[in-house]
Amino acid sequence: MFPASRVGAVDRQGRPYDRSDPAGYGTSVTKPEGYDAFWEETWAQLQRIPLEPELAPVPLRSTPDVVVYEGHYTSWDGLRIACWYCVPVAPGLGRDGRHPAIVFLPGYVSEPPLGSGKEWARAGFACVVAAPRGKLRSNAVFNPGYPGLLTHNLADHQTYGYRGFFCDAWRTIDFLLSRPEVDPDRIGVTGSSQGGGLSIVTAAWRPEVRAACPGAPYLCGMRDAIDLTHTYPYEELNDYLRTYPDRRAAALRTLDFYDGINLARRIRCPTLVNIGLVDPTCPPETGYALFDAIGAPVKELCAYTGEGHSAGRAQHAPRVLAWMRRHLDVSDA
Amino acid sequence: MATQAPALPRVPEPADFDSYWARVAAELDRTEVAPEIELIPLRSSAEVRIYALHFTSIGPYRLFAYYALPAANTEGKPPGVDVRLPGYASVVGVPAGGLDRRWSGSRAVLALCHRGQRLSDRPYAAAFPGLLTDGIESPDTYVWRSIVADACRAVDAALSRPIDEIDRTDVVVTGNDLALFVAMLRGKRLASVRAAPALFNRLPETLPATHDYPLEEFNDYLRAYPGRAEAVARTLAYFDPLAAARRAACPVETPT
Repeated sequence: MFPASRVGAVDRQGRPYDRSDPAGYGTSVTKPEGYDAFWEETWAQLQRIPLEPELAPVPLRSTPDVVVYEGHYTSWDGLRIACWYCVPVAPGLGRDGRHPAIVFLPGYVSEPPLGSGKEWARAGFACVVAAPRGKLRSNAVFNPGYPGLLTHNLADHQTYGYRGFFCDAWRTIDFLLSRPEVDPDRIGVTGSSQGGGLSIVTAAWRPEVRAACPGAPYLCGMRDAIDLTHTYPYEELNDYLRTYPDRRAAALRTLDFYDGINLARRIRCPTLVNIGLVDPTCPPETGYALFDAIGAPVKELCAYTGEGHSAGRAQHAPRVLAWMRRHLDVSDA
Repeated sequence: MATQAPALPRVPEPADFDSYWARVAAELDRTEVAPEIELIPLRSSAEVRIYALHFTSIGPYRLFAYYALPAANTEGKPPGVDVRLPGYASVVGVPAGGLDRRWSGSRAVLALCHRGQRLSDRPYAAAFPGLLTDGIESPDTYVWRSIVADACRAVDAALSRPIDEIDRTDVVVTGNDLALFVAMLRGKRLASVRAAPALFNRLPETLPATHDYPLEEFNDYLRAYPGRAEAVARTLAYFDPLAAARRAACPVETPT
């Protein structure tokens, strides 16, 4: 009744693969025809949509050192997108007393972590924590669910669910630029897993981003990842391809349009990547391939031995803070 | 201007702790389980069938759970069932996949989405943050009273499966604090419980030392409503996981 699912990792010829050389695995991701025109057109259409930013204070979540706001802005297809916006009470550390700022992008299944936003604010940064479409508070119109988002309209790159999702991430930069207390020359992006992938997407497309710290990047090397792992969310793709084998070529072509490896070549800001060498969710092979593709002249990779999908988050966090302070020229925190 | 959160007062175990939970059990008894099952072909494979299982908890409130059944019966008898209670998150994962998509073939899995979580979010869609203090002013309105009932109902839903499909004498529950309340209220029907309390354990000591969500939700609430600290403490006294553990009616494993 149902086809068997494949067990274990395979190489590109479908043979069992022992995963002994993640750094040398490379990638089979390529730029599909029409790639540049597609994203230029997406960007042009997005520019025609007014941002319409709104902020409302949230006293319940504010503390003596951090003011928390709920923000909203308009994005692709006119959807209203929610975010948390956390602002230090202390005077800004950036130019003219303004705040350096961080965009924090969320994981695939987790809700936008308000705690991370408040932590960045306690460290002296204004921080927007995005809730792209489909996340709670942004899901009234678009709500493919989890699992669901990764294969939403996968057969067609024009209507694939991540098109608007990427726009929602890009627009966090416009949201910050609309804020008078933010120093527009000191904006960084970070996040882990999907937040790592979206950090790549945002740093690649928005030159306003001056530093990026993607962790355990998801949405990178997708056509390779489905050969290497069977954990969700990538397993959503295997579920889809097992169920609709005749759509394989179209589905993989769509994924190439959205693969972070193709976007990473555009990145110019200093970029610090961390991966876990036994990550069952985002295979380290894809992390190495992504790092190789990043076009920034200044980039570093921290590959943590024995670490899974957390990619060494606890020990890596001080390096992320130091990277942001150095490359956003924040010396007074 | 926001101020520091006041401490959570220490209060003794409520004298009516047992009758409070007995009323929840009685509400469950009056509520038909009414299970409905439907195959999810997209998530199923030759090794495992994934189903959507719907059933009713107190309220009444319809719940969703994933139900995974090994396609092949390799043990020569129906498999036992692992009832997985969810962590504090809006999304519950599909109980399949894994690094190698291995499927042991030896046990079925029921993965509950309690009320407020996605797929069990109509009409109640929980806020994250927010769920941990929803209705906390009174033990009768606190949403976790109903969530404990949902967790117990997941066991009832597993036991509703036919005897030629699962071994009803081999139901194991895993989860956070919720698992201990299930051990208390449904332990007689369980082989064992594995519990890792994470939400309600030793809160008066823990809360002043953390900024981390979800526990920071309690601090947020106490900071915003300092006059309600006594009422919050009285509500939370019914949700002390150690009090539930002392009343467990089955073997319980907890991490040391």
